[in-house]
Amino acid sequence: MIKSKKQCIAMLLAGGQGSRLGALTKHVAKPAVSFGGKYRIIDFALSNCANSHIDTVGVLTQYRPYLLNTYIGTGSSWDLDSRDGGVAILPPYATETGGQWYAGTADAIYQNLDYIDLYDPNFVLILSGDHLYRMDYRKMLREHIRNNADLTVSVMRVPWEEAPRLGIITAGEDGHIVKFTEKPKNPDSNLASMGIYIFSKKILKDALIADSRDPESEHDFGKNIIPTLLNEGKRLFIYEFKGFWKDVGTIPSFHETSMDLLEANPQFDLMSEDFPILTHDDTQPPHFVGEDGSVERSFVGNGSRIFGEVVHSIVSNGCYVGAGAKVVDSVLLPNVRVEDGAVVTRAIVGEDSTIKAGAVFGSADENVEIAVVGDDAVVE
Amino acid sequence: MDRVVGIIAANFVTDEMGELSSERTIASVPFGGKYRLVDFALSNLVNSGISTIGLITPYKYRSIIDHVGAGKPWNLDRKSGGLFVLPGSVFGVRSSHSRFLIRDLIRNQVFLMRSPAPYVVITAANVISHMDFYPIIKQHIDTGADITLVHHTFDRQDSMRYGLKIENGRVVGLKTDIKEGDEAFVDTFVITRDLLLKILEWYSAIDYLDFFEAIEGDFDKMDVRAYKYDGYIRGVLTAGEYYKFSMELLKPAVSEELFSAERAIISKPQESAPAKYLEGAKVKNSMITSGCLIEGEVEHSILFRGVKVGRGAVVKNCIVMQRCTIEPGAHVENVILDKSNVIRAGTVITGSGEETFIMEKNL
Repeated sequence: MIKSKKQCIAMLLAGGQGSRLGALTKHVAKPAVSFGGKYRIIDFALSNCANSHIDTVGVLTQYRPYLLNTYIGTGSSWDLDSRDGGVAILPPYATETGGQWYAGTADAIYQNLDYIDLYDPNFVLILSGDHLYRMDYRKMLREHIRNNADLTVSVMRVPWEEAPRLGIITAGEDGHIVKFTEKPKNPDSNLASMGIYIFSKKILKDALIADSRDPESEHDFGKNIIPTLLNEGKRLFIYEFKGFWKDVGTIPSFHETSMDLLEANPQFDLMSEDFPILTHDDTQPPHFVGEDGSVERSFVGNGSRIFGEVVHSIVSNGCYVGAGAKVVDSVLLPNVRVEDGAVVTRAIVGEDSTIKAGAVFGSADENVEIAVVGDDAVVE
Repeated sequence: MDRVVGIIAANFVTDEMGELSSERTIASVPFGGKYRLVDFALSNLVNSGISTIGLITPYKYRSIIDHVGAGKPWNLDRKSGGLFVLPGSVFGVRSSHSRFLIRDLIRNQVFLMRSPAPYVVITAANVISHMDFYPIIKQHIDTGADITLVHHTFDRQDSMRYGLKIENGRVVGLKTDIKEGDEAFVDTFVITRDLLLKILEWYSAIDYLDFFEAIEGDFDKMDVRAYKYDGYIRGVLTAGEYYKFSMELLKPAVSEELFSAERAIISKPQESAPAKYLEGAKVKNSMITSGCLIEGEVEHSILFRGVKVGRGAVVKNCIVMQRCTIEPGAHVENVILDKSNVIRAGTVITGSGEETFIMEKNL
């Protein structure tokens, strides 16, 4: 099969379970979790690809891929339904010597080197599907080319106290990487890796093949590939990203980041139109607020019907808030029913779940953990 | 339903929509926060399993082509079948009862000849309903009728309709002096394709007429039957009706029927975030579409995509179309604001409520 040659293609790692999201990822992979009222977490990375004019994206899936696969479909929501390239879903597969699950981020890409070869790109962009950010990858690619780099790692400055939890990079004045340390006890830099890499294709291929033969390797970009390339004296550079970037992979960060969206001038503005977040179009009508309904400091998605009170919350598409019900500091994922008189406070309610009439879910007490219920649940 | 093709007639003109239709066709008049009128006909046909649809466009067709494109949102970008744009003639029909110009059907009869489907459903582009065509077509086939006209009991809600003279389930004639309680034709019918092609041949000399004006005299020679539709149905032709039917959407029973999650009415997708409410927002009895940013008061109104209502502003009994901005402290009441209008801070605009006040689209 002959495909057109591409300058740069993206490989999006979307196979992780995201176990730190607990009940929210019981049935779906983390990238498919609903976020921001009408989006799914993977929309942010896919929109970045579309807005960066990267038209070939391989999405590596493994954990509970059904919803994710259906959601991505032909990629038309992100204008990725293109004749040459477009989106491809890449699950683990069998070969004549058997088959195996993706053993790590590097192994997932290694197992799909044939896909990359189809397009014979000069550069490969590696992304993960679980962060909230807007980024024009073309700027990073330009720096990669200008530096004549083998690998460019996107980094951002983080508060020093957070550095010991992250992959920290020490770089020289010109941006070349001197040291990469996973979770350093005494960090000498506060530049954290964002898990976004641009590789020159040949370097990537050689590194992955070598890594696959190393029985000691965990087949992870951060733990294995980058340190090895650094030891070999390859040209590794940073690209410093100065925008907003957030991991929404834990319940507290998911909740906090959601609440931050509600500010009048949020750090991450879903409504900004110059770099739109693309998603599946909903086929639902405008939302309706009834005679006795009230909404403030909130997002409300299409198709919702509000007859109660909504304060400082995200009410996603297709929800129902009954008369006398109250939703405060909470995130209702799509199609949640909060029946008459129920009270939901500091909670995340999974898709298609019901909070029964009169039920009380969650607590305003800041010392109590955010209340979470998964998809298709009923809270009495 | 591959035995049925659909035709949507959109080549008729009205002067009574005022500024709403000066730059666009009736079919592409925005409605219900995120739709265009033609979305109802298109979606209902598609949701009834009809996947070959011809759209007879009016002469001024920029806005409608912009909206329907290749038909992708309705799954009509097909290898076989799908959406066919059928150009209408320069002068569409203007008579208040006419929707189906013979000339437009004749000009596009190749579409019918090429299709192997023996039945044709024809409907007008200004009908608001959530109609399932399946039982109508089934009745048409089961009774062996030549033509089946869909009707409802006239309730004086919309002004311009043919009345049907019905005897024992057979339509024997039309009438224009229609009164409450009469059975009114809802501009939707099923016809057997071969008969339709014959009729186009017979009446080609008087092709400037409306289809029904022409064939009424021959009803006794054909098997013309009636199908009664009991659901919510409205045909929009005037600005007053437009305002009234828009406001009917604020009754939960109406919007739940029209916008039921199954067999959804589909429109052209546009990207916008969910609607955002800031401190000071007070909204009641209103429909609010994604992309709106609300800091003021909204009551008994419909806000289309991307409308901004500033702090302390009041919007009451209004239809506010896409991308309008009501600046802080402004007050608008009983008004239809067409696209992209900006109401400056502190301005007060109040319609009388008797005559519909429309602020023209701002390019």
